[in-house]
Amino acid sequence: MNASVPPGSTSLVSRELLIEGEISGEESLHVDGRVKGFVRLSGDLFVGAGGVVEAEVEARNVVVQGSLAGKVTARQQLEIQPTGRFHGECTAASFEIREGAVFEGTSRMIDPAAAKSGSRSAAAKPA
Amino acid sequence: MGLFGKTKTSAPAKGGQGTAFIGAGLTIKGKVSGSGNLIMMGRLEGEFDLDGELVISPPAEVKGEVKAVTLSVSGAVQGTLSARERIHLEKSARVQGTLAAPRLAVEDGAFFNGESRMPPGPQSAASAKRAEPKKAAAGKDEP
Repeated sequence: MNASVPPGSTSLVSRELLIEGEISGEESLHVDGRVKGFVRLSGDLFVGAGGVVEAEVEARNVVVQGSLAGKVTARQQLEIQPTGRFHGECTAASFEIREGAVFEGTSRMIDPAAAKSGSRSAAAKPA
Repeated sequence: MGLFGKTKTSAPAKGGQGTAFIGAGLTIKGKVSGSGNLIMMGRLEGEFDLDGELVISPPAEVKGEVKAVTLSVSGAVQGTLSARERIHLEKSARVQGTLAAPRLAVEDGAFFNGESRMPPGPQSAASAKRAEPKKAAAGKDEP
């Protein structure tokens, strides 16, 4: 059954929605509402302009237009756009913080070479 | 895919806030609450409490308590389903547990193992509420 799932699929947490708990899976997630807890994705996490995420996050890319607080690991890139606010502890292979964004907390870089070989082996798996 | 497209076209008529979508690749353990419409194709262990329309379509697997205004199920659910307005079990639905809704439709082919209760609908409750204050006000005015 799960084999029919398109790997590039993006789930949406709409503005009026709150998810409390653990979210995990093989896709990307766009949050315009609220998420509290744990998020672990093989895809990307987008926090939309009205979105509020208070969670421990692990994802491929993390893009923040709204508010993100917690411990965040981006296997590739963490991007905080001008409207975005980040509070917490983050680990990423690369960063982009645009002017106007709020970044409060600690930052740690993953060795990009190690991250790249990791993602390459992960990409090779499904084939 | 076809179903998603179909629901998407009917969604904007209902306020157009954007229909939430939990894809087949996602697993949620915990509680999903709020308002608006939601299409669920992933796995949930926990609770849905939605002030809106919830569509549970395959390959969704839901275990726990589900509350919504209207509920349409074509995926698998184990637990308690309750809707303020109505529950619709489509032919591919697999439900094990308790149903509670003032209106219920079960299509031929649906699997339902459990119990169903039909509490009075929200319309009758609302009209009763509306009628009562009117009476009281009229009573006050009369003497």
